[in-house]
Amino acid sequence: MEAVDKLRPEIARLIAAKQERRHKLAALPFPEKVRIVVQLQRMVAPILRARGRPARVWRLTGDSAAVPPVPRGGSGGTTIS
Amino acid sequence: MEKTLQVLTELEHDGLLLRFAIGGAMGATFYVEPVLTFDLDVFVILPQTAGGLLTLAPIYDALRARGYTEEGECVNIEGVPVQFLPAHNALLEEALAEARETSYGATATRVLRAEHLAAIAVQTGRDKDRERVRLLLGHAPLDGEYLRAVLARHNLEARWKQWTS
Repeated sequence: MEAVDKLRPEIARLIAAKQERRHKLAALPFPEKVRIVVQLQRMVAPILRARGRPARVWRLTGDSAAVPPVPRGGSGGTTIS
Repeated sequence: MEKTLQVLTELEHDGLLLRFAIGGAMGATFYVEPVLTFDLDVFVILPQTAGGLLTLAPIYDALRARGYTEEGECVNIEGVPVQFLPAHNALLEEALAEARETSYGATATRVLRAEHLAAIAVQTGRDKDRERVRLLLGHAPLDGEYLRAVLARHNLEARWKQWTS
Protein backbone atom coordinates (compact mmCIF):
# COMPACT_ATOMS: atom_id res chain seq x y z
CA MET A 1 0.00 0.00 0.00
CA GLU A 2 2.86 2.34 0.86
CA ALA A 3 4.41 1.73 -2.59
CA VAL A 4 1.13 2.69 -4.26
CA ASP A 5 0.96 5.89 -2.20
CA LYS A 6 4.47 6.77 -3.33
CA LEU A 7 3.46 6.23 -6.93
CA ARG A 8 0.40 8.46 -6.76
CA PRO A 9 2.17 11.82 -7.17
CA GLU A 10 4.15 10.42 -10.10
CA ILE A 11 1.02 9.06 -11.79
CA ALA A 12 -0.75 12.36 -11.22
CA ARG A 13 2.18 14.16 -12.82
CA LEU A 14 2.09 11.82 -15.84
CA ILE A 15 -1.67 12.28 -16.29
CA ALA A 16 -1.27 16.06 -16.06
CA ALA A 17 1.52 15.94 -18.65
CA LYS A 18 -0.73 13.92 -21.00
CA GLN A 19 -3.49 16.47 -20.59
CA GLU A 20 -1.09 19.29 -21.32
CA ARG A 21 0.16 17.51 -24.44
CA ARG A 22 -3.44 17.08 -25.64
CA HIS A 23 -4.14 20.78 -25.09
CA LYS A 24 -0.99 21.69 -27.02
CA LEU A 25 -2.01 19.41 -29.90
CA ALA A 26 -5.52 20.85 -29.89
CA ALA A 27 -4.08 24.36 -30.17
CA LEU A 28 -1.99 23.62 -33.28
CA PRO A 29 -2.96 25.31 -36.57
CA PHE A 30 -5.35 23.20 -38.65
CA PRO A 31 -2.85 22.47 -41.49
CA GLU A 32 -0.35 21.22 -38.91
CA LYS A 33 -3.00 18.91 -37.47
CA VAL A 34 -3.77 17.63 -40.97
CA ARG A 35 -0.07 16.88 -41.40
CA ILE A 36 -0.15 14.86 -38.16
CA VAL A 37 -3.24 12.97 -39.35
CA VAL A 38 -1.35 12.03 -42.51
CA GLN A 39 1.57 10.82 -40.40
CA LEU A 40 -0.89 8.68 -38.42
CA GLN A 41 -2.29 7.34 -41.70
CA ARG A 42 1.22 6.35 -42.80
CA MET A 43 1.73 4.47 -39.54
CA VAL A 44 -1.61 2.67 -39.57
CA ALA A 45 -2.10 2.00 -43.31
CA PRO A 46 0.28 -1.00 -43.52
CA ILE A 47 -1.48 -2.67 -40.59
CA LEU A 48 -4.90 -2.14 -42.14
CA ARG A 49 -3.70 -3.36 -45.53
CA ALA A 50 -2.24 -6.48 -43.91
CA ARG A 51 -5.74 -7.14 -42.57
CA GLY A 52 -7.16 -6.76 -46.07
CA ARG A 53 -8.69 -3.33 -45.47
CA PRO A 54 -7.99 -0.60 -48.02
CA ALA A 55 -6.21 2.46 -46.66
CA ARG A 56 -5.12 5.36 -48.81
CA VAL A 57 -2.70 7.86 -47.32
CA TRP A 58 -3.58 11.43 -48.29
CA ARG A 59 -1.42 13.43 -50.62
CA LEU A 60 -0.79 16.96 -49.38
CA THR A 61 1.40 18.36 -52.13
CA GLY A 62 0.33 21.78 -53.32
CA ASP A 63 -0.78 23.06 -49.93
CA SER A 64 0.20 26.66 -49.35
CA ALA A 65 -0.12 26.12 -45.61
CA ALA A 66 3.51 25.15 -44.99
CA VAL A 67 2.82 21.44 -45.02
CA PRO A 68 5.92 19.48 -46.03
CA PRO A 69 5.48 17.14 -48.98
CA VAL A 70 4.88 13.46 -48.36
CA PRO A 71 8.23 11.64 -48.72
CA ARG A 72 8.42 8.92 -51.32
CA GLY A 73 9.10 5.41 -50.09
CA GLY A 74 9.56 4.09 -46.58
CA SER A 75 6.04 5.01 -45.63
CA GLY A 76 4.44 1.61 -45.77
CA GLY A 77 2.86 1.95 -49.17
CA THR A 78 1.96 5.62 -49.18
CA THR A 79 -0.11 6.38 -52.23
CA ILE A 80 1.27 9.27 -54.22
CA SER A 81 -0.40 9.85 -57.51
CA MET B 1 -5.88 19.11 -48.91
CA GLU B 2 -5.90 22.74 -49.97
CA LYS B 3 -6.50 21.84 -53.60
CA THR B 4 -9.28 19.53 -52.46
CA LEU B 5 -10.95 22.42 -50.65
CA GLN B 6 -10.49 24.62 -53.71
CA VAL B 7 -12.33 22.05 -55.84
CA LEU B 8 -15.17 21.93 -53.30
CA THR B 9 -15.41 25.72 -53.41
CA GLU B 10 -15.58 25.57 -57.21
CA LEU B 11 -18.45 23.07 -56.98
CA GLU B 12 -20.26 25.54 -54.73
CA HIS B 13 -19.59 28.43 -57.11
CA ASP B 14 -20.87 26.32 -60.00
CA GLY B 15 -24.12 25.68 -58.11
CA LEU B 16 -23.62 21.92 -57.89
CA LEU B 17 -23.91 22.25 -54.14
CA LEU B 18 -25.39 25.17 -52.25
CA ARG B 19 -23.08 25.05 -49.25
CA PHE B 20 -20.47 22.73 -47.78
CA ALA B 21 -18.61 22.36 -44.50
CA ILE B 22 -16.06 19.93 -43.11
CA GLY B 23 -17.41 17.58 -40.44
CA GLY B 24 -16.64 14.12 -39.11
CA ALA B 25 -13.24 13.26 -37.71
CA MET B 26 -11.49 16.05 -39.60
CA GLY B 27 -14.05 18.55 -38.37
CA ALA B 28 -13.35 17.39 -34.82
CA THR B 29 -9.61 17.62 -35.49
CA PHE B 30 -10.09 21.33 -36.18
CA TYR B 31 -10.93 21.74 -32.48
CA VAL B 32 -9.14 18.91 -30.66
CA GLU B 33 -6.00 16.80 -30.97
CA PRO B 34 -5.56 15.13 -34.39
CA VAL B 35 -7.87 12.15 -34.87
CA LEU B 36 -6.98 9.36 -37.29
CA THR B 37 -9.23 9.19 -40.32
CA PHE B 38 -8.84 8.11 -43.93
CA ASP B 39 -11.58 10.21 -45.48
CA LEU B 40 -12.75 13.77 -45.40
CA ASP B 41 -16.42 14.02 -44.46
CA VAL B 42 -17.99 16.97 -46.23
CA PHE B 43 -21.57 17.89 -45.37
CA VAL B 44 -23.43 19.50 -48.24
CA ILE B 45 -26.71 21.21 -48.94
CA LEU B 46 -27.81 20.08 -52.36
CA PRO B 47 -29.91 22.01 -54.87
CA GLN B 48 -33.26 20.41 -55.61
CA THR B 49 -33.60 18.79 -59.01
CA ALA B 50 -36.58 19.40 -61.29
CA GLY B 51 -38.28 16.31 -59.86
CA GLY B 52 -37.68 17.47 -56.30
CA LEU B 53 -35.08 14.81 -55.62
CA LEU B 54 -31.88 15.46 -53.72
CA THR B 55 -29.07 13.63 -55.48
CA LEU B 56 -25.30 13.61 -55.44
CA ALA B 57 -25.20 12.50 -59.08
CA PRO B 58 -24.48 15.96 -60.58
CA ILE B 59 -21.53 16.40 -58.18
CA TYR B 60 -20.16 12.97 -59.04
CA ASP B 61 -20.62 13.67 -62.77
CA ALA B 62 -18.80 17.01 -62.52
CA LEU B 63 -15.94 15.46 -60.57
CA ARG B 64 -15.68 12.56 -63.02
CA ALA B 65 -15.47 15.09 -65.86
CA ARG B 66 -12.52 16.70 -64.08
CA GLY B 67 -10.76 13.34 -63.90
CA TYR B 68 -11.44 12.47 -60.26
CA THR B 69 -12.34 8.88 -59.52
CA GLU B 70 -14.75 7.23 -57.12
CA GLU B 71 -13.32 4.99 -54.43
CA GLY B 72 -16.08 3.20 -52.60
CA GLU B 73 -18.20 5.79 -50.83
CA CYS B 74 -15.70 8.56 -51.59
CA VAL B 75 -14.35 10.53 -54.52
CA ASN B 76 -10.61 11.00 -54.60
CA ILE B 77 -10.14 14.73 -55.05
CA GLU B 78 -6.51 15.81 -55.31
CA GLY B 79 -5.26 12.90 -53.21
CA VAL B 80 -7.92 13.12 -50.50
CA PRO B 81 -10.89 10.72 -50.43
CA VAL B 82 -13.94 12.93 -49.91
CA GLN B 83 -17.23 11.55 -48.67
CA PHE B 84 -20.18 13.81 -49.48
CA LEU B 85 -22.91 13.67 -46.86
CA PRO B 86 -26.13 15.45 -47.81
CA ALA B 87 -27.86 17.39 -45.03
CA HIS B 88 -30.81 15.06 -44.56
CA ASN B 89 -32.30 16.39 -41.36
CA ALA B 90 -32.89 19.61 -39.45
CA LEU B 91 -29.78 19.27 -37.27
CA LEU B 92 -27.46 18.91 -40.28
CA GLU B 93 -29.16 21.79 -42.10
CA GLU B 94 -28.70 23.99 -39.04
CA ALA B 95 -25.08 22.85 -38.63
CA LEU B 96 -24.30 23.81 -42.21
CA ALA B 97 -26.09 27.16 -41.95
CA GLU B 98 -24.07 28.04 -38.85
CA ALA B 99 -20.75 26.50 -39.87
CA ARG B 100 -17.64 28.41 -38.95
CA GLU B 101 -15.85 30.29 -41.73
CA THR B 102 -12.12 29.64 -41.66
CA SER B 103 -9.20 29.26 -44.00
CA TYR B 104 -6.78 26.52 -44.88
CA GLY B 105 -3.62 28.15 -46.15
CA ALA B 106 -4.85 30.66 -48.71
CA THR B 107 -8.19 28.92 -49.24
CA ALA B 108 -11.40 29.94 -47.51
CA THR B 109 -13.47 27.05 -46.20
CA ARG B 110 -15.97 26.10 -43.50
CA VAL B 111 -15.93 23.72 -40.55
CA LEU B 112 -18.99 22.72 -38.54
CA ARG B 113 -19.17 24.31 -35.11
CA ALA B 114 -17.85 22.11 -32.30
CA GLU B 115 -21.29 22.17 -30.65
CA HIS B 116 -22.89 20.82 -33.81
CA LEU B 117 -20.20 18.15 -34.19
CA ALA B 118 -21.02 17.02 -30.66
CA ALA B 119 -24.77 17.05 -31.33
CA ILE B 120 -24.35 15.14 -34.60
CA ALA B 121 -22.22 12.55 -32.79
CA VAL B 122 -24.96 12.13 -30.19
CA GLN B 123 -27.58 11.80 -32.92
CA THR B 124 -25.50 9.25 -34.86
CA GLY B 125 -24.89 7.28 -31.71
CA ARG B 126 -22.06 4.87 -32.54
CA ASP B 127 -19.22 3.97 -30.17
CA LYS B 128 -16.81 6.18 -32.08
CA ASP B 129 -19.29 9.05 -31.83
CA ARG B 130 -19.31 8.63 -28.07
CA GLU B 131 -15.52 8.88 -28.09
CA ARG B 132 -15.79 12.01 -30.23
CA VAL B 133 -18.13 13.61 -27.71
CA ARG B 134 -15.64 12.80 -24.96
CA LEU B 135 -12.83 14.42 -26.95
CA LEU B 136 -14.86 17.52 -27.79
CA LEU B 137 -15.98 17.89 -24.18
CA GLY B 138 -12.41 17.61 -22.97
CA HIS B 139 -10.64 19.88 -25.40
CA ALA B 140 -12.93 21.86 -27.69
CA PRO B 141 -14.02 25.38 -26.79
CA LEU B 142 -17.70 24.48 -26.43
CA ASP B 143 -20.26 27.19 -25.76
CA GLY B 144 -22.39 25.45 -23.14
CA GLU B 145 -25.48 27.59 -23.62
CA TYR B 146 -25.37 27.23 -27.38
CA LEU B 147 -24.86 23.46 -27.10
CA ARG B 148 -27.78 23.07 -24.67
CA ALA B 149 -30.03 24.92 -27.09
CA VAL B 150 -28.94 22.71 -30.03
CA LEU B 151 -29.51 19.55 -28.01
CA ALA B 152 -32.95 20.76 -26.88
CA ARG B 153 -34.03 21.80 -30.40
CA HIS B 154 -33.19 18.38 -31.79
CA ASN B 155 -34.38 16.24 -28.85
CA LEU B 156 -30.93 14.97 -27.98
CA GLU B 157 -30.78 15.92 -24.32
CA ALA B 158 -31.57 12.47 -22.94
CA ARG B 159 -28.75 10.71 -24.77
CA TRP B 160 -26.39 13.58 -24.04
CA LYS B 161 -27.08 13.15 -20.31
CA GLN B 162 -26.67 9.39 -20.63
CA TRP B 163 -23.32 9.78 -22.39
CA THR B 164 -21.87 12.52 -20.25
CA SER B 165 -23.09 11.74 -16.74
